[in-house]
Amino acid sequence: MATAVATAPLAGHEAVAARYLEVDPVYAETRSIRLLGFVFFLLSDCVLFGAFIFAYVYLRISAPTWPPFVGNHRLPWFDTAFAALNSIVLFGSGVTMHFALENWKHLNRQKFYRWLIATIILGLGFLLGQAHEWTGVLRGGVTWPGSTMGASFFTLTGMHGFHVFVGVCYLTVLGLQARRGIYTGSKYFGLTAGTLYWHFVDVIWVVLFTLFYVW
Amino acid sequence: MEAGTTAPHVGHDPHDHIHPPPEGFIRKYVFSLDHKVIAFQYFITGLLFMLIAGSFAELIRLQLWEPNGAIMSHNAYDTMFTIHGTAMVWLVVIPLVTGALGNFVMPLQIGARDVAFPWLNMLSFWILPVAGLTLFSTFLAGGAHAGWTEYPPISLADGTAGALWCAAIFLVGISSTITGLNFMVTIIKMRAPGMTWTRMPLFIWASFATAFMNMFATVALSSALFALFLEHVFNVPFFDANRGGSAVLYEHMFWFYSHPAVYIFILPAFGVISEILPVFARKPIFGYKMIAFSSLAIAILSFAVWAHHMFPSGISPWLQLTFMIITYAIGVPTGIKVFSWIATLWAGRIHFTTAMLYAMGFLITFTFGGITGIFLASVPADFHEHGTYFVVAHFHYVVAGGALMGFLAAIPYWYPKATGRLMSERMGRWSFWLFFIGFNATFFPMHWLGLEGMPRRYASYVAFATGNPDAVFWNQFETVFSFLMVVSIGLLAWNMIWSIRHGKPAGINPWGARTLEWTISSPPPYYNFRKIPIVYDRPYDFDKPLPYRNLDNDIDAYPEPSPVLLRQEPVRAGA
Repeated sequence: MATAVATAPLAGHEAVAARYLEVDPVYAETRSIRLLGFVFFLLSDCVLFGAFIFAYVYLRISAPTWPPFVGNHRLPWFDTAFAALNSIVLFGSGVTMHFALENWKHLNRQKFYRWLIATIILGLGFLLGQAHEWTGVLRGGVTWPGSTMGASFFTLTGMHGFHVFVGVCYLTVLGLQARRGIYTGSKYFGLTAGTLYWHFVDVIWVVLFTLFYVW
Repeated sequence: MEAGTTAPHVGHDPHDHIHPPPEGFIRKYVFSLDHKVIAFQYFITGLLFMLIAGSFAELIRLQLWEPNGAIMSHNAYDTMFTIHGTAMVWLVVIPLVTGALGNFVMPLQIGARDVAFPWLNMLSFWILPVAGLTLFSTFLAGGAHAGWTEYPPISLADGTAGALWCAAIFLVGISSTITGLNFMVTIIKMRAPGMTWTRMPLFIWASFATAFMNMFATVALSSALFALFLEHVFNVPFFDANRGGSAVLYEHMFWFYSHPAVYIFILPAFGVISEILPVFARKPIFGYKMIAFSSLAIAILSFAVWAHHMFPSGISPWLQLTFMIITYAIGVPTGIKVFSWIATLWAGRIHFTTAMLYAMGFLITFTFGGITGIFLASVPADFHEHGTYFVVAHFHYVVAGGALMGFLAAIPYWYPKATGRLMSERMGRWSFWLFFIGFNATFFPMHWLGLEGMPRRYASYVAFATGNPDAVFWNQFETVFSFLMVVSIGLLAWNMIWSIRHGKPAGINPWGARTLEWTISSPPPYYNFRKIPIVYDRPYDFDKPLPYRNLDNDIDAYPEPSPVLLRQEPVRAGA
């Protein structure tokens, strides 16, 4: 809404947007629209995880024993040590992504690509770690259809893993777009959105890790 | 909009770049990005689904003509009421009130050229027919039997049909989440300059609260159905009590959405009533801020009342008490609205147009449905009424007598804006009275039938009719009068078709209304506003001049802007 910008100044708290206002008012406006839309998307995604986390907590609290019994066999606890290691990989990827975006802002293209590739590799590493984790859990007798423990664990970590996978694809596309010259030093909303998404996936993992491996 | 980096703009100044009107049938009418065309698509789709779901309702009524009706097998009856409820809720009411009405009116009333993300708007519409086809395809797989709530374990016995049902409603959920997100961003970011929060029309407040619930609550529904789908297809034990799951968990997840959902139905209708009453009473709305904030209060409280649907399902007495109290509390903002509307009418110069008749009808039927809602919120009373026709009467008063009636009020009110023609008032009055009488005669007797204990969802009520011989009379009475509603909706449809050619030309502002959509031509051009207006005040002070500048009819002040017609460019992915 171009004229809206021309006639009414942006709210003062939009400091970041104000930075673009001098460069290009149309971009400043659409950037703020997209940013809000993207944040709302992430919030509604939180509700998706929230609903399943609610289901897990509900089932766990109402179960007579946890881990539950399947027949006479009591299911084992999850392996906290390995998951903690894998979490470090994922959180590390959040750090590298942060550096990638910062380097973009400071026009260090080469460093940006390096940090982005590091993020993608760490993301893939986390997915491999999750695959390893899943096989271990399955070997312990916890299966998806077998118990409420398996149902909530595989559904939630599976959904999260899917988000990580989507994130890896997303970051790859962003890298390719950056190579094609879609983004500039002042216009890089796609990269901001990708970074937000990646941090979002990290934050969800903090909650899942706590609920499955610490609780 | 990536201004200036990838796509060069046609105009010289980035503010004034041109986007020519869409060309060709497909771009213009099928995969259109224009919110008005999308609204029309929602409208037609919603009416088609209403035809199907409504005919199921009449089949249900015919089955209940005799206590042991033999129109259809009991199995078929179960699928009828299941798909009637499901389709009416997700394929008729939600697409009509948010998709059609919200899409058409909201951007016009805030002075925007389109919604924030036109492409998402198109996507969210096109999910709907797919979802509808998926839903009706359950009949090919044996039919879904568990009612519109699809409670496990009964729904799990449906097999493929149950899984298809989940997939269909999951899709609808995605569609309405996207719409909610889109509307939230549009209302927050794209209001005309000067339109502060407390200068927004009340329909926009209602749309905002609706969008908020659509965005957050609907995802919970999608999650519940995703879990149920996994249980159907992969046998994952979320809800199977034999394997540690819990059917009550499903009820929690389902109603966490589905109670906000009833406010998703009704809030746009509240908005419509708040627009229509001041216009036809020629008086400022009474209690603007109270009505606006009560919409928000309803939206927030509605997330904390869901378990009142589950009192007999085995939840703890403390939860019952809590939810009873919060449910009573949500009656307060609703009551504030009703009293404000009545106070708006007080000492006004009331014009009984068709829209106003429907709005008045809404006040009566909705208030009645709201009062029986208070009965149902009370734990002891609910244990008696739960699962009876009392509940059926209550939610039809709220959804059909409230949300649908509000929508029916909106049709004659905004039809002139959408088509440039007035609808026939004579046919309109007929269709109102037929609907009002038919509706009340159909659903009012259900109250006492329910209190006497007539169970809902039963294909045969032989046992009940033995103890209550008058039940047969009242059921036949309901069946007869229910056809008045069919006649009324048919007449309305005919009125809409007839008026396109024979209606009186509407002009810019046939009602003397003051919101922004009545300042541009009817039908609006695809870019809506030549110049984005500047807003100085609320649109409800009928004794003052219009509080806008840059209006299209002040066009003398602005030379014909022909190639420089602004339009929000569709937001592309990427930069």
